[in-house]
Amino acid sequence: MDAQRLKASFAQVAEKGDAVALFFYSDLFVRNPHLRDMFPIGMSGQRDKLLRALGHIVSQVDDLSNLVPFLQQLGRDHRRFGIVAEHYPHVGASLLATLRHFSGTAWTDDLESDWTAAYTLVAKVMLEAADENALTSPAWWNGQVVAVERRRFDISVLRIQPDRPLPYAPGQSVALEVPSRLRHWRYYSMANAPRPDHTVDFHVRLVDGGPVSPVLVRGTQAGDRVRMGAPIGTLTLDESSPRDVLLVAGSTGLAPLKAILEQVSRRAVPPRVHLFFGARSRDGLYDLEDLAKLADGFPWLTVVPAVSDEPGGHGFSSLLQSGDDGIEHGNLSDVVARRGPWDGHDAYVCGPAVMVGHTVEQLTRLGVPRDRIRLETFADAQR
Amino acid sequence: MNSPNLPVVSEGSRLTPGELHSVVFARAALGRRGYDEEQVRNFLQYVERELVKIFTDKAALADEVNRLRSQASSGSRGVMAPEDAHFQAVRILSQAQQTADLYVADAERYTRELAHEARLHREAILSDAKGRAEQMLEDAHRKAAAVAEAAVRTAPPQAAPAPRPENLPDADRLALEREIAYLRTYSDVYRTHLRSYLEALLRNVDEWESSERASLPGGNA
Repeated sequence: MDAQRLKASFAQVAEKGDAVALFFYSDLFVRNPHLRDMFPIGMSGQRDKLLRALGHIVSQVDDLSNLVPFLQQLGRDHRRFGIVAEHYPHVGASLLATLRHFSGTAWTDDLESDWTAAYTLVAKVMLEAADENALTSPAWWNGQVVAVERRRFDISVLRIQPDRPLPYAPGQSVALEVPSRLRHWRYYSMANAPRPDHTVDFHVRLVDGGPVSPVLVRGTQAGDRVRMGAPIGTLTLDESSPRDVLLVAGSTGLAPLKAILEQVSRRAVPPRVHLFFGARSRDGLYDLEDLAKLADGFPWLTVVPAVSDEPGGHGFSSLLQSGDDGIEHGNLSDVVARRGPWDGHDAYVCGPAVMVGHTVEQLTRLGVPRDRIRLETFADAQR
Repeated sequence: MNSPNLPVVSEGSRLTPGELHSVVFARAALGRRGYDEEQVRNFLQYVERELVKIFTDKAALADEVNRLRSQASSGSRGVMAPEDAHFQAVRILSQAQQTADLYVADAERYTRELAHEARLHREAILSDAKGRAEQMLEDAHRKAAAVAEAAVRTAPPQAAPAPRPENLPDADRLALEREIAYLRTYSDVYRTHLRSYLEALLRNVDEWESSERASLPGGNA
């Protein structure tokens, strides 16, 4: 298998962009019509994903130490779509047909055997990881909604009872599928540390034009069923660290940090924790009531709410807001920076991509080493 | 042995129904038994009919073969190589997929625009409500201030440091009491107005939310 030749071949094919993935899926479905049901009606997002994954795999094809873990994760992750061993040869055949089609005269027997070898390896690693995973973990978890709390017109907190324990670390997330939007999986973070009754909370914010979040926020009620994939994510607590903790949450990015906060609270001697919770307007601070209660109960916890789009203001509006209850005004990252220094802290940041970017920038500028900042941008996964 | 006038069939050609029809058998010799003439005739008619059928079928099949041959030789219409057929199918499916993607994207954009407009409306309604409430409050405040000022003006400046109603002339005291009564009423009326306005606003928001929920598709009936 000649890695250089593969890369050059893929680069040539990838120039055709979306047409490549379009051809691949059409070829796959013409040959195996029964596979069409495993995908959503709209396929543009799916094609992007395929091209990105292929590009990543080819670029790492001569660096197995990086590629193998990626493929293993991919293999495990595909179990929830109901993908089994017999599907892999179909995919391989269509992939080869696609590459041949777009390579034109550049296609040679050598190239064909290179690609065949590469795909055989990829399928083998993915399948082995999936099979190994199947020994200890279901392909997905069924869950039932046990409570829905609408906190704002576009934010709901859902409590879900999985049919068997969902083993996760606070800060992680799972892909979620609702029956009325089959084949659309969206990632949401568990908003609590594992409980004895195994229920998990999710904070869901409605994304305009998104197919899944509007159903979850406004069309879901107790008794509804969902499916969940395996927990993933690296925004988890550094248990070995003796440092104090800084949590910075924008909007429903609060969920994983609240879970981490719960985890910290179970320690015999919790570190000092500052939790900054920001939104554009005051009614976006959908979980402030509960956080305030926690702060009252834990002397080591400080909660600082902040709003960016509402001026401190006088007049009737401020009167309606029942006085000043310690809400800061300004961009969340600036509010955090004002309250520093944070250089002795571990920082955990989650929220809209822009907010996370600014906060990381500010923190590193203030002397927090980058490797002590853990983050998750959920914007892409929210739709 | 009597030989009937059996048809003369040239080498290579076949027996035809016509030939069969014209066969005439000689009568059997006197005193000798032969086949029943009627039966022979019926049998020959049967064979003739069968032959007619076979010839017709054969002609039809030959026509069909010719038609298919000419179709195959005239190019791609109708029959094509399996590989071409596959590419054609892939192309058709790709086009269908692109159409579906377009519809989905359009629908998403439409809901996004609708939601955006609804949000703008919501903001507008809320800020309008806040504005009106502030205006009402300021109005009430201005009126109260004006009344208070008028009360002070009617009290003689040279009177005691804290002019009390008892020290005022009767007419002035009456006027002041009227003003106080008015103020009290005004405050009540204002509060009632404000409350019903806010309640109407809340009802509005509720209705809006429930109609939005009703318009959501989803299998949770």
